[in-house]
Order: sequence, then structure tokens, then C-alpha cells
Amino acid sequence: MPPNTRIPRRTFLKAVAVTAGTAGIATALPAGSAAASGTPPEDLAEEHAGDRALLIDLTKCVGCGRCVDACKAENGLAWREDHPARGPDATLAAANWSVVRSEGRVGAGGEPRYVKTQCMHCLDPACASACFVKALHKQDNGIVAYDPSICVGCRYCLMACPFGVPSFDWDATFGSVTKCDLCDERAERGEPTACSEACLTGAITFGSRGELLKEAHRRIAARPDRYVDHVYGEHEVGGTSILYVSDVPFEELGFATGLPTDPLPSYTWEVSRLIPPTAAGLGLTLIALYARRRQVLRAQELREAVATGTEAQA
Amino acid sequence: MSGGNVQHAPIRRRWGFGFTWVRLVLFALGGLGLLAVTYRLIFGLGAATNLNDDWPWGLWVWWDVMTGVALAGGGYSTVLVVNFLGRERYRPIERAACLTSLIGYLLVVGGLGLDLGRWFNAWRPLVSWGYHSVMFELFICVSGYTVVQIIEFLYVFDERLPLPRIVRRILSPLYVPILIVGVILPFLHQSALGSLYLIAKGRLDPLWWSMLLPLFFLVSSFYVGPAMVTVENFLSASAQGRRPPIDVLSGMVRFAGKLMTWYLVLRVGDLAIRGVLPRVWEGSVQSQLFVVEVVVGIAVPAALFLVRSTRLQPFWLATGGALAVLGVALGRANVVFTAMADSAHGATYAPSIVELAVTVGLISIGILAYLFVVENFPILTEEEAAEASSHVVQRTMLPVPLRPIPSYVASARRGHPLDRREVAGLKTGEAISSSP
Repeated sequence: MPPNTRIPRRTFLKAVAVTAGTAGIATALPAGSAAASGTPPEDLAEEHAGDRALLIDLTKCVGCGRCVDACKAENGLAWREDHPARGPDATLAAANWSVVRSEGRVGAGGEPRYVKTQCMHCLDPACASACFVKALHKQDNGIVAYDPSICVGCRYCLMACPFGVPSFDWDATFGSVTKCDLCDERAERGEPTACSEACLTGAITFGSRGELLKEAHRRIAARPDRYVDHVYGEHEVGGTSILYVSDVPFEELGFATGLPTDPLPSYTWEVSRLIPPTAAGLGLTLIALYARRRQVLRAQELREAVATGTEAQA
Repeated sequence: MSGGNVQHAPIRRRWGFGFTWVRLVLFALGGLGLLAVTYRLIFGLGAATNLNDDWPWGLWVWWDVMTGVALAGGGYSTVLVVNFLGRERYRPIERAACLTSLIGYLLVVGGLGLDLGRWFNAWRPLVSWGYHSVMFELFICVSGYTVVQIIEFLYVFDERLPLPRIVRRILSPLYVPILIVGVILPFLHQSALGSLYLIAKGRLDPLWWSMLLPLFFLVSSFYVGPAMVTVENFLSASAQGRRPPIDVLSGMVRFAGKLMTWYLVLRVGDLAIRGVLPRVWEGSVQSQLFVVEVVVGIAVPAALFLVRSTRLQPFWLATGGALAVLGVALGRANVVFTAMADSAHGATYAPSIVELAVTVGLISIGILAYLFVVENFPILTEEEAAEASSHVVQRTMLPVPLRPIPSYVASARRGHPLDRREVAGLKTGEAISSSP
């Protein structure tokens, strides 16, 4: 190749690569932000209509905490003063799989409101997709279950959960992740959850997700003056098996609002699916580069050998 | 890590490790770190760290994993530039860069292992494939790349302590495939560190959450390589009272500057397309730290690298290098801490004494390991080693890492054990020459 064509060609190739790369990213960006998942949310709801689920009606909750007692008894969890399971500071923790948090007198007539909180059992759970050993996984009955025997304890599930549900048992030498399992053992016996059984006011209804979703909409339709027109958990991150209805807007009750309606794993998948082709393309490029480099070196070697030979002759 | 035409320092007969006060201090810090490690292993994460359910990841993830992997990126980028893009100019720094990277990754694996609550299960991902998790990709690529780097080091090890014939037979044909895999894996996991946070949409501040996070992490790990080399050179040069090789360094940072400009355009363009730009001048702590990251950590060093007059001045060159490195560290901190602060339900996190002791201890052990290998294996070039033994070992602990020797070409002709191997596909005994 004549030396004077070398630089323009290289510059040209570089310019093409940079432009193409930037353009590719620019076009990928809006598509990526829209994040198309493998399963559209409507299909997801249909697929999981028979899943074990709870409907929690916040207008009916009086904050008695019987559900918390029942949960602790069912799962053998300790009461801890530093992690209250009831009251204004109630938070989920290693020994708190279900809590009832007081939100103060936020009702329309100044009545107090209480929020029962536990794992939402997402239809397409972020925690399970984040788990790199499948210690967390979505069962066929809808329960997002956890197997401590294979858990590595990386806590990526805590990072991934949009509701801040999974807790880590920090006190143990080999801490594990803990959270509500929607009474998996009772499910095997065909029984409802301990919390729903303990509830005396009808705030917690147990059933299948499809039926409960209809029930939620029926309640809102029957009393549109009372309920906020929003079933929390219907669309949030693709839908959850725990559904809430309320008379106070959810953002005033400490709920995570403004969540995307796409399942969160779809965002990761947008990128992860590019890995095999990227790796293959990269490998081929490197092989080509190396082959070319070897050629250049050989040619150079030859030239130098000739030059040395000429020198020696002279 | 092929020898090519670089004359590496002649190997000493005896194993040795010179002691200085600084090295003793490093030993002490390393010992303290090991004590802290023992404490953490016996009493668990809750007792040893200030982590909690709202801050499940802290200092170890930010520094030991996120920043450590990025700063160790000098290894794969040098291998790529020298062996695949043919920039022979940087051949002399290749081994030192790869050694820094290898030790960096061993520390990352160590730090990550300590961060695992149930580390005895660390082998589980090998049999229970959670392939839909970014963490799985990260696990496979980081552990795979660490193995690749150990194999790469075996070629160097062989020059010091000849390996059994059977091992050589296995290694010999593996050289080029190993080089190739050693570039692919870092490309994947540098970006995976960014992909980790994609699933935290809604929790991560929109100033940082973007579908381009993987690309951002990849690009920043690539340009921080030259910046890191610059910083290391200035440190070692000042320790020896000599002038750093401005000409070679400025060539490297010019490339970094171009990449940083592209990165800057991407970062700002991404904000604009997502409509988050107004958030930048909101005045919150998050927005301020974002501005510091982008302006002080990217734009200013990029300008210093791109303008000829500043990049040729030692002061500004060093400033640019330091700012770029700190900028990447701040960028990672912004993702791990700043962007998560609002979704932490008011909980706070500051690293505990044990966490700090472990991190400082790991760094100290890393520096000591680097020094030991440099003094006992053919890593540095002949001239570097001469300078190191006359100045460095006696005066201070800082070695001459990563210092390119422009005059190495002159000494290229002498026979070297590695030349006998078929490095670039050349026949036995042929020397590889390069364009100056």
C-alpha cells in the first residue's frame, strides 16, 4: 500500500466506526428506555391469574396487629425492640416478615391509617432474576421462594427489590436473606396465609390473583367516592400478587409510587441478550486483528532480513 | 505478556525482598487487615460492618470491587493496544500493567469473597446457573479472567522457575487464545458492573440510571488506564527524583482525552434524551455531585489531555491524570452511594473501622505482592530495574511501575528466553522487530 493513502484510510475507517457506534447507541436508547420485555404485562397477568394472592383493603385495617402476631408464630420469628413490627417505625427485618406501620391520622375524616407490609410476590420478580444461583425463584403457585442452602449471601436481591423487601440476617456469622414466603408450607396443605386467617376486620382477603383483582375493581366501582381509583400492585413493575386498595392516595402512605409498569428484569434483559453476540463479534475482531498484525510483523521481518543481507554483502 | 523485543531485567539467582520503613508499615497495615478479616469471618457482617438492609452494599463493593476492577483495567487495555493494535511503543509497560491488573483482580476476588454472607457457597453458581442475573455474568467473567491472568503470568514465571515440560506443552499453543479471551472477558465484566444497576430503576437516581450504564462503565474503565499509568509514573518518578517520560505519557493520554470527550457527549446526550437535564441544576446534593463528576472528573482532565500545551507540561499532565482517576472513583461512588441515598428510607451508612482496616490492609498486601514479584520475576525492563535497585529499594518503597523506556528498541536484539517461543506465530529463533 502506498504510504500516502494510509492515513486517510485509517482516519476514514475510524470516523465511520465512531459515527456508526454513536448512531447505533442513539437509536438503541429510546428503544431501551421503553424496555420491551419478553412477556407483555397483560399476558403476565393472565398467566398468573391463578396464583396465591392477597388483597389488602387499607380502609378496613384498624392496626390491631393480629396478622403480625400470627406471622411471627407461624414462622417462629422473634420480637425485637430494635426492629418494631408495629407502630410508626415498623420496618421489615430479618425477624419481621410482615409488619403493620401506622401512618398517622391521614384519613379523610382524620382517622388513622395502617399499612400492612410484606413481600409483594411480583409476577416477574426482580430479586429472583438478580439471584445468580437461583436461591430465589418464582414457584408455580406464585410464591417467590428462597432456598438458604444455595444462597451465596451477595445481597444483590436487596439492591434489586423495588419495594425494599428482602432483609439480611446481619447478626449471624453466615447471614442469609429472609422475607415472607406467603406461608409456603400452608400452601401445600391448601390453607390460606396465617395473616389473612388472623384478620378480624376483613382487611386481608386471601384468594387467587385473578379473582382478587376483580374484587378490588368491584370495591372501587361500588364506592368511587371512597376509594382511590388505583389498585396498587396491578401494574407496578409488571404486577404483584399482593394487591392494595385505599381511600388515601398511596404516595401519602409511604408506598413506592412512580415505579415503571414494565417488569424490572426486562431492563437487564435488554442488555444481557446482547452479551453472546458481543462476545462473538469481539472474538472475531480480535482474531482478525491478530492475524493482520502477524502479517505485518512477518513482512517487516522479511524486509529486515533482506536489508541485513544487503549490508552483509556490502 | 509476550516478551517481544523487550529486554527484561536479568533474573537474580536468589529470592529476595528488601526491607524499608515504608514496607514495614505496609506489613503492619496488612497484618491489621488480616486481623480485621478474621474478625469479620468469625462474627459475621453485622458485627464487622455498618451495612444494613437499606445499605446492603458499602465500602467493599465501591472500592474493592467497583473501583478496583476499573483501575485494574490498565491490564486488558494494554494487551489490546500492544498485541492487537500493534502499538509496540507500549510493549515495555505491558508486563507491569498486567501484573498490576492480576494483583488488582486477586484483591477484588478477596474483597468480594469477604462481602459474601455465605462465602462457603461461592462455588454454587458453577452448578446452579442463574444466567439471567448480571451477577452471574460478573462472577463467570471475573473469576475466568483471574484464571486467565494467572495463566498469562505462568509464561513469566517460567522464565524464573522453569515449569515442568508437560505444563509447557499445554501452555505453548494456548498463548494466543489466552490473549484473546483475556480481552473479551474484561470487556464483558467491566460493562457488567454497570448493568448490575439497571435493575435498580426507580431506586437509582435518574441522573445516573440509564440503559447506557454498561457502556459508561466500560468506556470509563478503558480511559482510566492511561490516566492511572500516568499517575503511577509520576509517583515513582518523584520518588526517584527523575523526570517522568512525558513524551510517551502524553501520547497515551491524548487517546484517553478523545475517548473522554466521546464519553462526555454520551453522558450529557443521554440525560437530554431521557429528559433529565433540568435535574442537573436542581441544586440538590445529588445534582452537585453529578456536576463535580462530569466537570471536574471528566471535562477538565479531557481538556488537559487534548490541549497540546497542557499535556506536555508535567504539572498539568499529572493533574489531568489524577483528576481522571479520582473522577472514575467518584463516578462509581455516585452510583453506589449518591444515587441510592434517596431510596434508603432515611438510613445512613459510613464504613466501620473493620471495613476500613480490611480495605487498607488489602491494598497494602497488594503493594507488597507487587514489589515482591517485581524484585523476583522478569517484569521491569533492564533499565527500570537498574534504576529501581539504585534508588528505589534503598530510598523508598515505590518501584518503577509501568514506565515505558523509549530506548528499549536499541536493546531489542539480544536473545531472550521468550523469543524462543512462537510468540507471534514466528518461527523459532526469529526475533520480532518493531517500528520505532
